[in-house]
Amino acid sequence: MYSEINELPRPAAALTPVDLTTAAGWLPPVIAALLGLSALAAVLPAGEVGRRGAYALAAAASTVMAALADLVLAGLSPVTFSFGSVLGFPLVDVALDDLGAVFVLMLGVVGAAASVYAIGYAPHVDAETDASDSRIRRPDPVLLAYPIFLGSMFAVFGAADAVAFLIAWEAMALSSAVLVVGARPTPGQARAGYVYLALTHLATAAVIVAFAILAGAAGGTGLDGLGAAARAMPEIERNLLFALLLVGFATKAGAVPLHVWLPRAHPVAPSHVSALMSGVMVKAGVYGLIRFVLVLLGPGAEWWGFAVLALGGVSAVLGVLYALMEHDLKRLLAFSTIENVGIILLGIGAAMLAGTAGLASVAALALAAALLHAFNHAAIKGLLFLAAGSVQHATGTRDLNRLGGLVRVLPLTTLAFGLGAVAMAGVPPLNGFAGEWLTFQVLFAVAGNTAGSELARSAALVGVGALGLAAALALAALVKATGTGFLALPRSEAAANATESGRPMVVGMTMLAGVCVAVGLLAGPLSGILVGVTSPLVGAGGAPPPTNLGTVGPGGAGYGPAPVAVVLGLVFGAAAFAGNRGRVVRRAPTWTCGILPEPAFEYTSTSYGKLIRLFFGRVLRPEREVQVELHPGTPFPRTVRYRGGARHVIDERVYLPLQHGAVAAAQLARRVQNGSLQLYLAYTVLALVALLLVARP
Amino acid sequence: MTIDSTALVLGVAQAVLVLALAPLLLGVTKRVKARLQYRTGAPLLQPYRDLAKWWRKTPVESETASVVTAMAPAGIVAAVVTASLLVPLVSSRPLLDGWGDLLVVLGLLAGARFLMALAALDAGSAFGGMGSSREVAIASLVEPALLLALAGAVIAAGSTDLGRIAGLGLASGLGWLTPSLLLCAAAFGIAAVAETGHEPFDNPDTHLELTMVHEGMLLEASGPRLAMLTYAAEVRLVVVASLFAAVFLPFGMASELTPLALVVALAAAVGKLLAVAVVLALLDAGLAKLRILALPGLLGFASTIAVIGLAARLWLPA
Repeated sequence: MYSEINELPRPAAALTPVDLTTAAGWLPPVIAALLGLSALAAVLPAGEVGRRGAYALAAAASTVMAALADLVLAGLSPVTFSFGSVLGFPLVDVALDDLGAVFVLMLGVVGAAASVYAIGYAPHVDAETDASDSRIRRPDPVLLAYPIFLGSMFAVFGAADAVAFLIAWEAMALSSAVLVVGARPTPGQARAGYVYLALTHLATAAVIVAFAILAGAAGGTGLDGLGAAARAMPEIERNLLFALLLVGFATKAGAVPLHVWLPRAHPVAPSHVSALMSGVMVKAGVYGLIRFVLVLLGPGAEWWGFAVLALGGVSAVLGVLYALMEHDLKRLLAFSTIENVGIILLGIGAAMLAGTAGLASVAALALAAALLHAFNHAAIKGLLFLAAGSVQHATGTRDLNRLGGLVRVLPLTTLAFGLGAVAMAGVPPLNGFAGEWLTFQVLFAVAGNTAGSELARSAALVGVGALGLAAALALAALVKATGTGFLALPRSEAAANATESGRPMVVGMTMLAGVCVAVGLLAGPLSGILVGVTSPLVGAGGAPPPTNLGTVGPGGAGYGPAPVAVVLGLVFGAAAFAGNRGRVVRRAPTWTCGILPEPAFEYTSTSYGKLIRLFFGRVLRPEREVQVELHPGTPFPRTVRYRGGARHVIDERVYLPLQHGAVAAAQLARRVQNGSLQLYLAYTVLALVALLLVARP
Repeated sequence: MTIDSTALVLGVAQAVLVLALAPLLLGVTKRVKARLQYRTGAPLLQPYRDLAKWWRKTPVESETASVVTAMAPAGIVAAVVTASLLVPLVSSRPLLDGWGDLLVVLGLLAGARFLMALAALDAGSAFGGMGSSREVAIASLVEPALLLALAGAVIAAGSTDLGRIAGLGLASGLGWLTPSLLLCAAAFGIAAVAETGHEPFDNPDTHLELTMVHEGMLLEASGPRLAMLTYAAEVRLVVVASLFAAVFLPFGMASELTPLALVVALAAAVGKLLAVAVVLALLDAGLAKLRILALPGLLGFASTIAVIGLAARLWLPA
């Protein structure tokens, strides 16, 4: 049935021309033009000017994307835009609706900040990416892939056609792989890029199979037609489709156990790309789950919700536990991304369970919680990666055990990272808390509503426990990163002698810091808009339910970020004023039992995580290695080397056996395919004889 | 929002009570503990004298300290005081009623912990790192236990709003204390002892480096900063105690402004807080500190009984 696809009628959506009758209709072509110019600037031999120009144009394109998303969310939907075709299918086919616009807004905000930041970032020497090297051939592949990456994410979030979606999806995967591997890959980068490509293609394969099944049943590739066909399918096929789509999109989102590529690929990319990959690209997986599972497949069996909820809980807890065990700053942030994807999946799972129980308004709220946290995480993680990049740029290392004391030499970067860390740790009144608050609310709503089955309600409570555990561990991980990386005495020359980043980088960080504060304070109205977006998706009729975020309901559970912020600010101001004003502060060395303080006395990142490593030993399987070298002929130690760490159970227990199995299978296959021409001719003859025997009339 | 004068008066009265009497609670605990150990102990008002003394002193700051050391104490006080304005105690409608629920209270306490653990690392002392890393590790087990324990009441009341939970508890009388909720209350009790840093989780009086948790984080603080951090810890204890009282023992709270109701409510509030102070003193005097690697077992036990309580509510016929 799949071979007929080429002869299918062209989907109606793809025939819609560019609509230039409205202001918003102009914007997609403007975005395409700006990104095209950015790519052109990357190709031209204009050197440093071309590089800056390319990023400035990308920043402009991102800003236009954010503006377009705002217009769509304000009621100007849908915006359509299509061009090109492959084998009769549209190459780019965008019909941006409200759901897509939420993700495009994420892309625009993080993309604009990351692009501005990149103007000042890329020319300098990176320990890993070494982008300043004059031997880099022009065009710089990183520079060329960057606008393609931005544009393909835009096309993914707007795609109105399954084939156009897949083309954009693949362009996103390939361009990001180029960005990970870079111009002159180190062995580490090449390996990370390879793992990334392999897993992302496994995911794409699952999605392609699912789309093929759907397209076969629908007789077209337009998303509207696919949805109608999906709902009419027998239950067993729908279950198969769910499993395929879940594997495909959860891999992209980085959910445990499909996450192994993420902590390898995200940290080795240049930091503005890491910000986009962690902040926005993983959300393409989230978008896929919402668009194709929740909306397109519609309400399904209860186990679908359990599966998503379980993925979310496991990802949230394991992601943050591994983040705690990391001492590479950017890898720590990458694992924290896995945790936050888990929190988003908890919201989506709650939406699915609520949908099964017939609680449409709770489902709408749950989906809004997932979207709010997705947006918040994009802004915060973008900010944290930009700050981490600034650290790497200034010190040449990402190893927390070699950092420290940066607050004195990099005050602005420290402020940016600290703000991001507080927001990510879920402290009111910043934005990270708002998303977690709403997610808690919907989990409680599912657990407390007797319309749901006992199993569903229990599952929601397990989600509450997992989210609580993940939030508390995230606080530990972020205190560790901020405290050991930025405070106290520097542990290396590089950290002691660092200099603050240039203006474009600071501006990029400031943009996202502003978003974190503003979204935190305006979480109420914003979540109201999001509920308006999600209500039609889950079939909640009538007025969207109140989120109680930013409102005082009569007796309802509310959270008012702005009033809480005002009270906090007043008390803080009064206490800080009374406690510090006019006081003489005497400065003295830290008391270290009579010896002069040294960096070696400080807790390092590894030692900070030790207790948690032991508490969660069954999962983390701590390793410990102590080497003592004695003064010759005495029992007194001269040097003691300590190494502590955790093992990645899923890598070792799942992927390593798979890898060994694949190699063993290949060894077997080599016996059959050993390069001998005679043997191959014998195969041919045998195959011919076999065919003749089988096809005998 | 209409300004409800009754709620406002009660809310202000409660805020004053909590913020003024928080140090006294510590005084009571210390005094009872001393008597249990056949000591006379410090006067009840000693915590106030300590705060006043530290407030007048010149702060000594580590040469490696940054702005975090200077500003974190004020931030911690702000977070804890704001949290205290959200929890019902005397009145079922605290001063900031409706602007934050129990999740916001827990979030603010987490914010205070973030700043505290961060400030402890600022001076670069090994003791600060020790206290800080222990604090966050223990908190990572306390937080889920607290949440699961509170979930029992949230499901019973259908809301995370503390005023609403307390109001429903008041209205249902002793029927509020279902077996399921009692299990959750026990879980909350265990986790709350850990949250406030008492035996068998932490010894609030110790200055032995190897066993310190909270005191280890305070080691480098001095002068007004030490006063603020100590005061914040005292208020934090009242917040956690009143959270327990509001959710599991809301009896006696005032919802109207009659002299009788007010007297009853004040007496009930003071009685509940005193009971907490005495229980903590009994724990401090009677229990040895657990080995730190045994803490996950006890806190896991707390989570487990909360889960049993929740399962009873969901799966057993009412």
